[in-house]
Amino acid sequence: MTTLTTTAPAVTTPPASRAGAPAHSTFAGVMRGEWIKLLSLRSTWWTLAVTALLMALISLAAASSLGAMADDPVMAPALAEMHGAEVISGGFQIAMLTIAMLGALFITGEYSTGMIRSTFAAVPTRLPVLAAKAIALVVLTTAVTLVGAVLAYVVTMPALAEYDLVPPLDDPGTWRVLAGTVYFLVAAALFSLGIGTLLRSTAATVTLALTVLLVLPGLLSFISLDWVETIVSYLPLPASSAFIAAGGTSVRGVALSAQEGLVTIAAYAVVPLVAAAVTLRRRDA
Amino acid sequence: MIEAHELTKRYGDKTAVDTISFTIPPGSVTGFLGPNGAGKSTTMRMIMGLDRPTAGTVTVNGKPYDHHRSPLREVGALLDAKAVHPGRSARSHLRTMAATHNIKASRVDEVIDMTGLHKVANKRVGGFSLGMGQRLGIAAALLGDPRTLILDEPVNGLDPEGVQWVRQLVRGLAAEGRTVFLSSHLMSEMAQTADQLLVIGRGRIITAGPVQDVIDSVSGAGVRVRSPRATELAALLTADGATVSSPEPSTLEVRGATANHVGELAFAHGLLLHELSPRRASLEEAYMSLTQDAVEYRSEPTSTASQKGQNR
Repeated sequence: MTTLTTTAPAVTTPPASRAGAPAHSTFAGVMRGEWIKLLSLRSTWWTLAVTALLMALISLAAASSLGAMADDPVMAPALAEMHGAEVISGGFQIAMLTIAMLGALFITGEYSTGMIRSTFAAVPTRLPVLAAKAIALVVLTTAVTLVGAVLAYVVTMPALAEYDLVPPLDDPGTWRVLAGTVYFLVAAALFSLGIGTLLRSTAATVTLALTVLLVLPGLLSFISLDWVETIVSYLPLPASSAFIAAGGTSVRGVALSAQEGLVTIAAYAVVPLVAAAVTLRRRDA
Repeated sequence: MIEAHELTKRYGDKTAVDTISFTIPPGSVTGFLGPNGAGKSTTMRMIMGLDRPTAGTVTVNGKPYDHHRSPLREVGALLDAKAVHPGRSARSHLRTMAATHNIKASRVDEVIDMTGLHKVANKRVGGFSLGMGQRLGIAAALLGDPRTLILDEPVNGLDPEGVQWVRQLVRGLAAEGRTVFLSSHLMSEMAQTADQLLVIGRGRIITAGPVQDVIDSVSGAGVRVRSPRATELAALLTADGATVSSPEPSTLEVRGATANHVGELAFAHGLLLHELSPRRASLEEAYMSLTQDAVEYRSEPTSTASQKGQNR
């Protein structure tokens, strides 16, 4: 069919590379690829640093206001019931925002830049990419939350010691609050990843994720209808208080048990991811 | 080897690719030509499994692309020089792709050297020129040392030295027995690089075959004749079954007769000739003639804005 009019067949690929160790696609490889993607972007490092610092700063602010709380006759009883670990994890709502941004951009950044086509050319079955991204986010979110908590522990120690609130490390309550915080932030990251994979646009994803995570609970709390209050109870932030808050919290609507809170939060992480997995294979990249 | 069978892609009620079938053989360079919006990029994206065909199948090296265990070793593709995160360095970009296939770091360095990117390998891609972006895309395509290469407009934005480099590169890759499938808008470049052509317009294959056959099929081999007695010669040729036109006085453009035949005829009738030259259409002329009915985005004489068309 062809007549080769070879000019200079410059041998461009050294034959050695072909004979070398056979390189195959594996899930471990896809996982490594996603790690390199995350860690080779400056924005990731910025987000992580800001997350840990904000967690420390917010808890420092909370610890510093303990004095004012003690002097206030209305607030003083709350102080008595307070667990020191709550002060330390006090910055988790801010961390939720930065972590959600990280989760969203991890996938929408690929769609907006066109990187997704390189990604899917390397992994045309696509699902391993989503799985690897989810695992990377779980690990990274856990790590940064722990770093933030250690920082917060160190900076709030003097203020907490004054009110005898330094969380004892042998108290299960301390670890329950910390584990709850990690659990919630991991879920927030996966929620954004799932939404981002479904919507593919950074602006739409960030808007939707922040609306559900942050705006709705505040906005709907002004409405005193029963069914609205029920909905609010199942929004991520209110639901998380069922297992993050060590003491009792005043909740309107449905009072979720810790288990119900955990399941509700898990649903926010899992449902969008499953929907994303279903659509990911079918859609044009 | 790329084989498409009745491949179709519709977006809503717009048919981008309309039941096309073709085979791209190994060991040669196949050029993919067509106006903007003809379906070239869509076809290439379907080969790579990025777009799902509405109907029909396409296989690479015997399997659909996403059925290959190590796809980067089967097919290397440059579909879009912008398929890169601008915040990453060229090296990091290649490492993310290499990692998925457990390709060694030494191979990343190899393709960086091969594409002349060693000086900018650690710079962020966001600051790259179009030409550098193309080189990075070609580096990514070569990464898995694939048997088949698919390059969409690889010389876009390259300087003349880069254009020549791409030509030698793809010729070399084909000489090694690989399948090379590339699209380009530069006809003269395609004429020098490709062994055979696949011409597409409005989602359908207009023609396919070796480059010279495609050119000849359109224009036929023409002959240009100048003679003080052109009118008499024209009558003789027409009587002989050739098609004759006269673009200017005493000059004839003859189709359907060889230069030898025209010369013999003139000699037999004692007609003086001032010029007798066989004319071959250029690929560009052939291409224009082939696709003139299939141009989706025709530029108005006053505007060239639509030239870019929708090229994703």
